[in-house]
Amino acid sequence: MRPVSSEFLVLKATALFVLWVLLSGSFDWIHLVLGGVLSFTVAWLNSGHSPFVPNFRLWGKIFLYLPWLFLKIVQSSLHLSKLILNPALPIDPRLLRVETNLGRRAAVVLMGNSITLTPGTITAEIDHDVVPEALAAEADPDALLVHAIDETSAGDLTSGRLEAKIAEVFKNEERRW
Amino acid sequence: MDILSVLFILAGLFFLIVAAIGVIRLPDVFSRAHAVSLTDSLGAFLMLVGLALHEGLSKNNLKIIAVLALLYIQNPVITHATIRAALRSGLKPWRRESS
Repeated sequence: MRPVSSEFLVLKATALFVLWVLLSGSFDWIHLVLGGVLSFTVAWLNSGHSPFVPNFRLWGKIFLYLPWLFLKIVQSSLHLSKLILNPALPIDPRLLRVETNLGRRAAVVLMGNSITLTPGTITAEIDHDVVPEALAAEADPDALLVHAIDETSAGDLTSGRLEAKIAEVFKNEERRW
Repeated sequence: MDILSVLFILAGLFFLIVAAIGVIRLPDVFSRAHAVSLTDSLGAFLMLVGLALHEGLSKNNLKIIAVLALLYIQNPVITHATIRAALRSGLKPWRRESS
């Protein structure tokens, strides 16, 4: 367990305090002092337990990735709405295995989260110990089991575009997790 | 400004209604979860943008952004947990017969 640097402790306490002021909305001294004491206590209690040290360059790249993800969300929302409103209900749900070579847990988590956030695809499993027999081919911790509502929704997964985008985010980053 | 915010809220409502129709029409829990994720990704986003425009520049806008960030982080987690639980309990996803 790596202790967190004191700068980060102050940063975290300040962030908690800002959230407190934002949500309480009152500026009298009793609220401010109470909030300050509580934010430092919470930050201090958590200080020894989190290996998380912020990597601002990586977070910046993740923020640059978000607009692309949002565009995808809009596209697939419109596609899914068309499917639902179509009187014939032309859905063709399927489970598919998506192999990845990302090799880091943070990247796989970001990918699984993006998949679930996009309407039409949901990450069902990441680690493969409890996968249905038909799909559990070999033990591969980086494979994702995805439920997709039709072939178009799964397009970016089968073509590997999503994985390429996420690999770009994590390229040249020191490995921490 | 008010017209713009009403337009955003109406667009959000459209997606919420489509999601509700989807929950009724789709055959099983897996595909229904897709319909529900329509609500939180675009429906809630458009509604909250509409509210933010209505508010103008104020402290409440920061709260709206906080709600939006939390929605986008937590909803995928909840959807994933539900679907994984359904799969692990042995539920078979619905398949189209003809294929």
